[in-house]
Amino acid sequence: MSDPTLMNLKDLAAAIKRRKVSSLEVTKALIARIDEWQPSINAFARVEPDDALKSAKAADRALAAGKAKGPLHGVPLAHKDMYYSKGKLAECGSKIRKGWIASTTATAVERLEAAGSFRLGAVNMVEFAYGPTGHNVHTGNVCNPWSIDCVTGGSSSGSGSAVAARLVPAALGSDTGGSIRLPAHFCGVSGFKPSNNRVSRANCMPLSFTLDTVGPLAQTAEDCALIMSIIAGPDPLDPTTATAPTWDAKAMKQPVKGRTIGIPKAFYVDDLEPGVAKALDDAIAVFKKLGVKVVQVDLPDQVMVAAAALIVLAVEASACHAPWLRSRPQDYGAQVGNRLQNGLAYSAVEYLEALRWRAHALEAHLAAIGKCDAVLAPVSRAVAPTQAETDVGGATNAEAIIQGITRFMRPINYLGLPALVVPAGFGARDLPIGLQIIGRPFNDETIAALGIAFQGVTDHHTKVPQRA
Amino acid sequence: MSDAAAERVAALAAAARVPLAEGAAARIAGATAPTIARYAAENIALPLETEPASFLVVQLRDSARDAGR
Repeated sequence: MSDPTLMNLKDLAAAIKRRKVSSLEVTKALIARIDEWQPSINAFARVEPDDALKSAKAADRALAAGKAKGPLHGVPLAHKDMYYSKGKLAECGSKIRKGWIASTTATAVERLEAAGSFRLGAVNMVEFAYGPTGHNVHTGNVCNPWSIDCVTGGSSSGSGSAVAARLVPAALGSDTGGSIRLPAHFCGVSGFKPSNNRVSRANCMPLSFTLDTVGPLAQTAEDCALIMSIIAGPDPLDPTTATAPTWDAKAMKQPVKGRTIGIPKAFYVDDLEPGVAKALDDAIAVFKKLGVKVVQVDLPDQVMVAAAALIVLAVEASACHAPWLRSRPQDYGAQVGNRLQNGLAYSAVEYLEALRWRAHALEAHLAAIGKCDAVLAPVSRAVAPTQAETDVGGATNAEAIIQGITRFMRPINYLGLPALVVPAGFGARDLPIGLQIIGRPFNDETIAALGIAFQGVTDHHTKVPQRA
Repeated sequence: MSDAAAERVAALAAAARVPLAEGAAARIAGATAPTIARYAAENIALPLETEPASFLVVQLRDSARDAGR
């Protein structure tokens, strides 16, 4: 039996189910690996070994009695510290919610646990999920397992770092302006930002009710699809999912041969680091070999789309936090506090106009991509920067730096499109590079199929960082 | 950053009943100026009937595209 900590989610779940390895053995091995890595990368907010070992033993007993719960039976998972689990801490990377215990459980977590997974602990995150680097003045920065002086990306910093270091086979993140995709790119893992309104956000910490999405980070696209198949679909507790289709496994298994991918002519291909440009070229060649037609697409002005996105995000985040901005402004870190204040700058008319313009922007995007099934683009123009060069705190130019890092992210959230990040190579300083496969609305299964096909003929996703 | 932009921020913050430290309005005005300028330049003029939920209509209409493939 190979080291269970290195197995991907699908193989691990299958091994437990076939009793090649017990849930208890897996849990003990993951806890031992966390003990080794945690001091250097700070991926976990908290580990709950006693409860996890108890759950593992119960899972093994159930399996022995022929009572497997579902496709994730006996698999320990840990999610971003903003997913509520009744009776457990959910501190959201903040001082303000320090010691806060949830009285409900997130629908996404409930569904994963109904499928047989259980809680190993919770992973760190950027304060209130409002930052793209992974810095956190309250909980300490999460570090990139590939190079601990580099950022993980955020805000799902712990999810990206923990999956990359193989401390957990998968973790939920959230993506409002790139918070799943940036850590996936910088940490060399797969990450799935679903279509907006596809996965319930009930009982998760909100940042922007229009733009928030719930999705997984995992080793492979197939693992992400496995989690999506469990968490996607309508939830009465989140009315925005009322029209959400459940996962269509059949659609995901359609051959990718004959599909069409668009490559943007501008914006997403401007000013790329050579390694990122090469990864994109290499990926195009891979898709062509898979029988995918590759065409160029001329997207509408993404700077305007990003501006509209930023207005929606900033205003909604400020509205969510208004009570604490009034009563506890000193308890925010400088960067997050400043960004929350920035949302005060936009008028009600500007905000509502940005919401109304969204339909027009999506129509224009769909017209521009024509019959393309997906668009392939970099996640960022460069590999992970160092923590020092992005430690902008409350500096006056912080917002400009943040906009630079999230440049290729925000339009996708505004348009509500699904996007899957797949590891696609290594660039400067041997740091990982991810590319985003951006789908059409509610066509999450198609991008999963493209990602799975890509990973079927590449091995970037199998690389594991070594502990320094 | 112009005084007018900082004054606008100060007025909006006051309307939201969020206190700002000295100099914060000017900082916010500076940080948000590029977004406001780009947004204003678009001069958005939408049909009267467009509402935020119109987005859902477009989203759902396109999602039927792959049916039967």
